[in-house]
Amino acid sequence: MIWFTWRQLRAQTVLAAAALAAFGVLLFVTALLVTDLYADVAACTSDCDGVTKAFILRFNSSAAFTAHVIALAALYVLPALIGIFWGAPLIAREVETGTHRLAWNQSVTRTRWLVAKLTVGGALAVAATGLLSLGLTVWAQRIDSASQDRINPLIFGARGIVPVAYALFAFLLGATLGMLIRRTLPAMATTLAVYVAAAAAMPLWVRGYLVPSRHDTIPLIAESIHGMSISGDTGAIEVFGDGVANAWTVSNRTITASGATFTGPADPAVCGMEGVPAKCHEWMASLGLRQDLLYHPDSHFWSLQWAEAGVLIGLAALLAAFCFWWIRHRIV
Amino acid sequence: MTAPALKAVGLTKRYGRHHALSDCTLDIPAGRVVGLVGPNGAGKTTLLQLAAGMLAPTAGTIEALGGHPASGADQLAKVGFVAQDTPTYANLSIADHLRFGAHTNPGWSQATAEERIAQLGLDPRQKAGKLSGGQRSQLALTMAIAKRPELLILDEPVASLDPMARREFMKALMGFTADDKASVILSSHLVSDLERVCDYLVVLVASRVQIAGDVDDLLAGHFRLTGPRRELAELPGGVDVIEESHTERQSTLIVRADVPLDGGSFTVEKLTLEDLVLAYLSKAMPARPAWESTR
Repeated sequence: MIWFTWRQLRAQTVLAAAALAAFGVLLFVTALLVTDLYADVAACTSDCDGVTKAFILRFNSSAAFTAHVIALAALYVLPALIGIFWGAPLIAREVETGTHRLAWNQSVTRTRWLVAKLTVGGALAVAATGLLSLGLTVWAQRIDSASQDRINPLIFGARGIVPVAYALFAFLLGATLGMLIRRTLPAMATTLAVYVAAAAAMPLWVRGYLVPSRHDTIPLIAESIHGMSISGDTGAIEVFGDGVANAWTVSNRTITASGATFTGPADPAVCGMEGVPAKCHEWMASLGLRQDLLYHPDSHFWSLQWAEAGVLIGLAALLAAFCFWWIRHRIV
Repeated sequence: MTAPALKAVGLTKRYGRHHALSDCTLDIPAGRVVGLVGPNGAGKTTLLQLAAGMLAPTAGTIEALGGHPASGADQLAKVGFVAQDTPTYANLSIADHLRFGAHTNPGWSQATAEERIAQLGLDPRQKAGKLSGGQRSQLALTMAIAKRPELLILDEPVASLDPMARREFMKALMGFTADDKASVILSSHLVSDLERVCDYLVVLVASRVQIAGDVDDLLAGHFRLTGPRRELAELPGGVDVIEESHTERQSTLIVRADVPLDGGSFTVEKLTLEDLVLAYLSKAMPARPAWESTR
């Protein structure tokens, strides 16, 4: 059964392997370029901030930057592709063309048939995303340590073990929807829609709560005012302070001494249309305002990775359990 | 005593409020070639899929060769099933199909499979998607035969085939029944497909089994009576009227009789299998078009 499942997925696996190999070449070539650019930082022994900043600037205008963007995109797209092209047709195509009636009348129970399908497909999904994520994580080590933003949601999702968990989840999501919808194309479309919704919901509403975030309240100083918006009619004002460096700021409110969110009103003399921004900032800094911050420092990176991967693998396991139940009790 | 090929008690399958199969009770001995006849939509496919374990019954029980259908690898190995549309994997070659069978069936005979493919003049490298309907049916049958089941279930195996392919298919099937002492159940809506190969018949109409039995016994127990109208009304006991038609002076009855019939003033004729089946069909289909009802 394992052999047969592999035989069914062989053509797509060869295609995926070829794409991965091409990516390997791209990463290898640009890795040499990054090593080159990084030479100054590597040689630096003390007071390296300037050298590091220069490295980031040079990296951002090099071909390696483009390669990084492509690799990030690939790691976001790959799990979706796996869900659509490996997951959704896995059962749907068999049921749609009636071949499940051939397969289920060999001397193999439906359960074993499904075990083989999910194992082979799941292993391929894990291998493909695992290799790509490992490659990029290693490739980007110097960039991540210099720019210190690997916990930033966009980068976070394309590093470490999280992409593997997304791929596994997408694969089982596709397989489950295919089993329920029983037609390949609608199953693929639904898989795409549900996966995109889930993948977007995760950083927006879930990730921040997986590990308790750190809570700090610091005085708002003029230099850390990042921006503000003032309503011309009411003088209501919203002030945005800087986020925390080398961290993912989940929530950032400007509060008054009593703890309420600061809403103004602004002093029209310094902050109105005729005001000078620097004066306005000084005025605000004099009000004794504070920044109320919820954030995940870089040290939370791996605990967040494991927590998010755990959630996704748990969902994948639930979907798999549902598939086994359904295929034994419901499907014809 | 070997277990019956198929044993059903009160077997019922409902889809919502629609009855696909109602209260079906059957006890088909092993080692027979069984024809399952009935019009389209009578429930033949439902019955066969229940026997193969593709469906689960709503009520009642069904056993194939004494086991619960598709209950495990052993049961699956004993029963071969070829679905109505004879599905095959379009993008896989014939050789891949045979390898699939070899990997998944303990009793698989690769020699049988290869021999049959060669006899059919098929190239093992050919993709199943490129085969004609008849060739695909033959591939599906080959897989089912090479699995060497004790019970082979075929759902409308020849419905989509042209007469030539039909004959080839039936020939192959008869070869199988002669070689292995296996039981075969095949369905069709045409008696003529089954007449030459079956020695046991089940007539299924409107989700119910009308009659089931050994073909010879059925033929020996059914008669067409023709005679003057009045006299036929006085029939001896043990005679069931299956179908009757009347003209002004004459009546024709098709009856089932467990006792030898005394001719008397009416003539007694034997029935062909086709007549017999048609009699049960018209009995069970009350909504006949007006022109078909006699008088």
